[in-house]
Amino acid sequence: MMGSAERLLDVKGLQKFFPIRRGILQREVGRVRAVDNVNFYVEKGETLSLVGESGCGKTTTSRCILRAISPTAGEILFRTGDGTVVDVATLSKPQLRPLRRQMQMIFQDPFSSLNPRRTLLDIVAEPLVANNVGTRQEQLDRVAELLRLVGLRPEYMRRYPHAFSGGQRQRIGIARALALNPSLIVADEPVSALDVSVQAQILNLMLALQSQLDLTYLFVAHDLSVVKHVSDRIAVMYVGQIVEMAGTQQLFTAPKHPYTEALLSAVPKPDPRLRTQRIVLEGEVADSANPPSGCYFHPRCRYAVDVCRTETPRLEEIQPGHFVSCHRANELCLKGVGESRSSGRPPVGRTTGPRGGADGGGA
Amino acid sequence: MTDPVAESDPILSVRDLKTYFFPDEGTVKAVDGASFDVYTRKTLGIVGESGCGKSVTARSILRIVERPGRIVSGSILLRRDEGNGAAELDLAQMDPSGPEIRHIRGGEIGLVFQEPMTSFSPVHPIGNQIVETIRLHQPVTKDQAREKAVDLLRSVGIPKPERRIDEYAFELSGGLRQRAMIAMALSCGPRILIADEPTTALDVTTQAQILDLLRNLQEREGMAIILITHNLGVVAEMCDAVVVMYLGRVVEQGPVDAIFHAPKHPYTKALLRSIPSIHATIRTTLPTIAGSIPHPYNRPAGCPFHPRCPDFMPGTCDASEPNLQRVAEDQEVSCFLYGSK
Repeated sequence: MMGSAERLLDVKGLQKFFPIRRGILQREVGRVRAVDNVNFYVEKGETLSLVGESGCGKTTTSRCILRAISPTAGEILFRTGDGTVVDVATLSKPQLRPLRRQMQMIFQDPFSSLNPRRTLLDIVAEPLVANNVGTRQEQLDRVAELLRLVGLRPEYMRRYPHAFSGGQRQRIGIARALALNPSLIVADEPVSALDVSVQAQILNLMLALQSQLDLTYLFVAHDLSVVKHVSDRIAVMYVGQIVEMAGTQQLFTAPKHPYTEALLSAVPKPDPRLRTQRIVLEGEVADSANPPSGCYFHPRCRYAVDVCRTETPRLEEIQPGHFVSCHRANELCLKGVGESRSSGRPPVGRTTGPRGGADGGGA
Repeated sequence: MTDPVAESDPILSVRDLKTYFFPDEGTVKAVDGASFDVYTRKTLGIVGESGCGKSVTARSILRIVERPGRIVSGSILLRRDEGNGAAELDLAQMDPSGPEIRHIRGGEIGLVFQEPMTSFSPVHPIGNQIVETIRLHQPVTKDQAREKAVDLLRSVGIPKPERRIDEYAFELSGGLRQRAMIAMALSCGPRILIADEPTTALDVTTQAQILDLLRNLQEREGMAIILITHNLGVVAEMCDAVVVMYLGRVVEQGPVDAIFHAPKHPYTKALLRSIPSIHATIRTTLPTIAGSIPHPYNRPAGCPFHPRCPDFMPGTCDASEPNLQRVAEDQEVSCFLYGSK
């Protein structure tokens, strides 16, 4: 999106291994390579999405960046508000504390991520209270402002989360994440627990907030249709590694990795006339404690050749901004997904309805 | 209707089904007048968002609605050949724990749950559970049943079924577990398979595998499938006919092509527009449906969709409930925009 924008986040060689312990002595018998040598960067103001299936390491990566867990190896370079670059991976807990104000998280499940015994005011003001920001009155005003920002009425601030629907709760979670004016927001599956009609509202809200507040998103999701709506760039992960990373348009229309192609093909298309031949991958996702030799994807890959079984491919930039980790990236001609149907959609007329969009209408 | 069951006759007809729950706080009309037909060799999709009553509908058919819920009225007619012509059984009239329904449940009608982890017993090997189902419905010995279970596991694409049969549910991956679940549902050769969100807990590539499997099994066994899902993409790929539900009411039903390309009800239209599509232009705002699904205790008067409807007509929509009207061949919609009663 922005050519020479500065990198807000630069992840280099990130690794996170979890030991497998057995027996009375809890001896280490193996390692789950949850994240194995992951490299990517996020520019200021853009949205990078990490996509992949369960167990691919996308959530572990995001948790390492927030230092909810400590990585095994690698650098996580974060540009702070005053322009200095720090390595989040090596900081101690007290050193991390001021940084936490600048990176916040939006959680997947709006039901378990809000304390049912605290009011909206307590929940949204908590980051302010924890960081001693402002007087009580200033905190109140800030909470009211935040609620308005996410499309909820400030009068609701004395209510408890149970009075709100899933979509409204997710708005509360977003308000809490925004309380300290963070520059980076990590959103881990923010809409996957919501109903489809509410998903669209939250995605729109996130897009609007991004341009309004100049936010940078690291978006973690498994649903490619959702990802397409919010991302500037996408990184596809498979068994702890990034197999392909490119601009959204590029990735969808001209994927270069066979796994990306299969993922795109597997998404059920909401159009019965498009019941085409899907690529159905055989077998299961490889075990990250005991990955196959060579390219981790080769046992399921329909284009695999001998070299794929023996040699591990590296993530290489085959076109400017398009990274692929595949031995055959330059010879394969893979099928992407076009935008054929968007023009065939019914005209979008009065879509927001009489109540004007936000679901703050009633609690 | 006393002739033998023809291919063109529905094998299951639900008529004006009402399943209410009576907790202490009041009445929840989980299903409020659902009617639809299920045909052999066809897949019927029931779609809707949470709280629309799609799962309760499925549970009502099998008579496994939990207390304090019960079927208040309506009929669920199962047609079967009994030598001297077709017989009709009303499942809604049966005793939910009686021998008749217990024979049908798991026998004639199989069920695949959403979460295969919680629907298998964690302390019994999956094989034993399948063997138990088979022996409950068929007069076979333990060894025969076990052989059959191995065949079933093989037929749903589980590698090394002789070994897998003695494994516990937690030893299998999500996809394999769902395959085992399907094998169990198929163990007695059901004529109807009810699949309640069968792929919701699975990854997309695994989902594609399971949907493929269901399609192939239907082709081979010729059963009817009732597919309950919130995913319109899955519906478009799998179903022949679709029932769209909202807050316990059927708002629209028709052939899959009509629902996706000529939807009539404002809710169906809005739902189709608001789903994030893989074909969409990147970083665009999605059309949304205003508001959120009302709490079941605060059900709006009149048409349940009227507070969120872009075509709301004051005085009509909030006054009385619309009934299903025929708008095209096989397509019915319940909305005052299309002729009112």
